[in-house]
Amino acid sequence: MKTLLPLLALVLLVGCSSILRTGDRIERGLTPPEAVNYATTKSEGGFSTQLNDNRIGNKIELLAARKTKTDGGYTRVQFDLRNGSYLNQTINVSFEWLAADGTVTESQPNWIVTPLEPGALTTVTATALKAQSAECRLRLISR
Amino acid sequence: MNKLSLLACAVLIVGCGTPATYKDPTGRELVVSLDKVNIQDFATAGSQMLQSMISSPSFSKGAPVLQLGSITNDTADNFDTALLLSKITVPLVNAGRVTLLDNDATANAARATSGSNANVPRAEYVLKGKILEDRSNAGSTRQSSFVFQLTLVEVKRGVAVWTEEKIVTKQGTKNAVGF
Repeated sequence: MKTLLPLLALVLLVGCSSILRTGDRIERGLTPPEAVNYATTKSEGGFSTQLNDNRIGNKIELLAARKTKTDGGYTRVQFDLRNGSYLNQTINVSFEWLAADGTVTESQPNWIVTPLEPGALTTVTATALKAQSAECRLRLISR
Repeated sequence: MNKLSLLACAVLIVGCGTPATYKDPTGRELVVSLDKVNIQDFATAGSQMLQSMISSPSFSKGAPVLQLGSITNDTADNFDTALLLSKITVPLVNAGRVTLLDNDATANAARATSGSNANVPRAEYVLKGKILEDRSNAGSTRQSSFVFQLTLVEVKRGVAVWTEEKIVTKQGTKNAVGF
């Protein structure tokens, strides 16, 4: 019995991480793969968000968005993101640029994979290539 | 009857394969290979290097004249390095951020026969680079890292004015689809 107890504890410990991983997989499976989330800078400052994947909303926090101009007059933005969950998260980000009238001027043709440890902060930066690109739309998915 | 059952099973197994479909090359459902550079790896490294490059003072104003130098493929995988360069030059040229010199032989011959007296601009910068790889494994887990290095050389002074390195690392036991 004495030897069985540590073994049982070990099985339970191993099982914990398995349960967490399985739960995460089930959650991922239930989330529509098209669920892209958006954060768009505003001309008056700040940003607006459009959350289509509530799962990511509970785990990844968008803390701030800063918009500046480069020496050449091109718009540069920075988004601060934080993994507010207790598990490692991998987020994928991509940028779109909009003119002042809302038309899309530039699109990034790929996703940037960003692994985040629990509590980790990261800043994603993008600089516009075109002078007419005034606002930035951050696209965010969790896998 | 037994033979029929076996045949039925074989037909069912063969029928379970996934037929080829078209995928968005910028999407998230692409094949991720452990032993080669995938198309999305070029896009990731290229876009990140482009962002770094346009933040350098050399690209702050105007449209500098750029010439493409050699990009050495020092990996075991055989691919055209234009896959990386196009991710940088296409957005830059289309946005009017650089003047790209074209050394195409046909275009040069056509210009010569046209009697054009227009001066061909001289290159201000040359973009050169290297792609390397590093592989390792632990048990059945394999890891591949592909290192993309680019350097921008100012022709007049012969000095590097911008340089960047991006590493794409992939780990797993087998190739997969998606992130």
